[in-house]
Amino acid sequence: MSDTKSTADLSKDWQAMQQQYWNAWTDATRQASSQQPAAGTPWHEGLEQWSRMFDSGKQSETADRLMSSAKNYVALMQSMLAAASGKKIDDSPLQAWTEALRSGFNLPNMDAALVNNPMAAMLKGISGQGAQGFEQLSQSFAPFLAQAKQEGMSWLQAPAFGYAREHQEHYQKMLAAFAEYQEALKHYNALILKSSQRSFTILEDKLAERSEPGRQIDSLRALYDLWVDSAEEAYAEIALSDEFRKVYGDVVNAQTRVRSQIQQEVERVGTDLGMPTRTELNSVHKRLHDLRREFRNAQSADVAAQIEVLSAEVQALKQELARQQGQPAASVHKATPKARAATPNTQAKRKHAAAVAKPRAASKRGAATFNDAISAMRDSAAGTSASHKAVAKKNRSDA
Amino acid sequence: MNPIRIEPLRALDEALKFNQKLAAGFKTLRELDDVDYGVTEKEEVYREDKLVLYRFKGASKPTAKTPLLIAYALVNRPYMVDLQGDRSLVKNLLAQGEDVYLIDWGYPDQSDRYLTLDDYINGYIKRCVDVVAKRHKVDKVNLLGICQGGAFSLCFASIYPGKIRNLITMVTPVDFHTPDNMLSNWTRGMDVDLFVDTLGNVPADMMNWCYLTLKPVRLFQQKYIGMVDILDDKAELENFLRMEKWIFDSPDQAGEAFRQFVKDFYQGNKLVKGGLKIGDKDVSLKKVTMPVLNIFAEQDHLVPPSASRPLKQLAGTKDYTELAFKGGHIGIYVSGRAQREVPTAIHEWLKKR
Repeated sequence: MSDTKSTADLSKDWQAMQQQYWNAWTDATRQASSQQPAAGTPWHEGLEQWSRMFDSGKQSETADRLMSSAKNYVALMQSMLAAASGKKIDDSPLQAWTEALRSGFNLPNMDAALVNNPMAAMLKGISGQGAQGFEQLSQSFAPFLAQAKQEGMSWLQAPAFGYAREHQEHYQKMLAAFAEYQEALKHYNALILKSSQRSFTILEDKLAERSEPGRQIDSLRALYDLWVDSAEEAYAEIALSDEFRKVYGDVVNAQTRVRSQIQQEVERVGTDLGMPTRTELNSVHKRLHDLRREFRNAQSADVAAQIEVLSAEVQALKQELARQQGQPAASVHKATPKARAATPNTQAKRKHAAAVAKPRAASKRGAATFNDAISAMRDSAAGTSASHKAVAKKNRSDA
Repeated sequence: MNPIRIEPLRALDEALKFNQKLAAGFKTLRELDDVDYGVTEKEEVYREDKLVLYRFKGASKPTAKTPLLIAYALVNRPYMVDLQGDRSLVKNLLAQGEDVYLIDWGYPDQSDRYLTLDDYINGYIKRCVDVVAKRHKVDKVNLLGICQGGAFSLCFASIYPGKIRNLITMVTPVDFHTPDNMLSNWTRGMDVDLFVDTLGNVPADMMNWCYLTLKPVRLFQQKYIGMVDILDDKAELENFLRMEKWIFDSPDQAGEAFRQFVKDFYQGNKLVKGGLKIGDKDVSLKKVTMPVLNIFAEQDHLVPPSASRPLKQLAGTKDYTELAFKGGHIGIYVSGRAQREVPTAIHEWLKKR
């Protein structure tokens, strides 16, 4: 197809190509012939061309995911159609269907490691802007490891000496971490392969339960959905095992050690070039965070101290009132031990809190001017002083 | 009898229809605008660092005397509770007369990597509760904690029982060591100190990858094949895309808070085993003495019901109610059944207390 064609033309071309393909399939099916249209074309090609037209759409990421899943599903359907074509409905043995399903997951030009391992292919596919898997990271680290392997892994154990001794030790650690990660990933992939194989065994068991009329599988989609149930069941069996916990933990930890080693190297280079480093930024962030906490704590301590002062003030006023009225004040006795126990530190806090609280209190009382507020504060301060004296006097008499 | 009876011509027709629908659907997909979310009008009532506390406005004045504060998880965005007009827990709660507030944690960046659970629970949540209580001149508020936010709410209610009138936990993990908890199985072999020391904040992409791999075939392939069925239905497609946007719109996780959450909750299972401390405050579920409504989803693959149910035995309350919802971790907010059942159950339960 030409790049200069319009969307409508591209669409027509693709539809024409699809029509040709469908006709071939229909003929193959009706004539009970064993000949089938060439695998891989034009469904795959058609989908590829079609998807290129949507690369700048608003939903391009979702379109990518949709396209990736659709391509896999179309390949599955193609494989299953091949199993069905030219046969009577009951002729295809169960084995042929499951084989068709199994081979349907093996896309043309697929990575050899993913052949007959649909679960690994699935996990590899979970990538892009939204997610990054073990495989993708492994690929990005691979060139470093390849270099190490070229130079011989024994170099990793060679003793370091001389001016660049520390650098050599660091490179050795980094490459050892790469090797360890690859090893951990191998164990992880082995379990994923096991889960792929198990999914087909479970599928056969599930199919065996559907032999009676009414429960039989009568569409490609139903067969695919049943495989999905089987695959998830197989995966869950393995993913919930103690063995997987160990292997998963190992691969995460090994991958993290690789990252850590790379970070240290980047940091060293950054320092040499006078660039800001992660450690320096962390230090700033830590200080900022500590300051934020300190500020918040001081704010809440302020409020707590204000409440303490005001409570003492209220109690003192109650006492004073009770004294003037010549009546015992029940609540006074509860408050006084606390007041008596005040340490120099809490007294200082109270003074500070009172200084903060009073202008606010005065202003809240509706002082019209600044002078009014100051007067209100003076009145309040005089009252507090009198009431504190009263409390002190009462404390002495209690003692 | 052969369990597979697929007629060749029918199979061909099925494949053809799939292909046609896919081709036509791409056109629809291309024409769709970016989806929006968060339908209910709301006002900002408090802001601190990246956190914003919102109060939602209903069509009529709230009738409930005690406000309801929603504390969502850190790992996803809270607009899931108000996704769209016909899928909104918030809207339905407002319609029942509740006065609803929501904590939006924002998106932490590297400057937040030292935020701890102490900062989140004894700091942010406490100050939000105080703000709401002060606005309504009440001593206690109702707290609705969702998922990880539910675990935080349990801690908060245990530390400050005097501030919570009623506690509602939704899809909240309590026992992190049940045998069907895949996420927990995986995190228990992790060296979380190395992980956080290396990464600082935990990137959202990594969290998303982890969630997708809980059910890789269903979440990464079958879901999109199912999407082909609705490609010619614009409204359904918008619903799908809105959900898709929410799933991948994940904030990074503040490193220190992540470290403690994995260590104390996933690995240490301290809500069950005891010994949990948030800052300098001890947490014991026995101190959760206010009425508790525990809602969980029967088909939840992230927080299995077996992880939520132990709250009944562990909480100190004498007034415990359980609601098992027929659905999954997401369906509990957005399914049609959820719209009918969950807000009504919450409101009716609160009304009696």
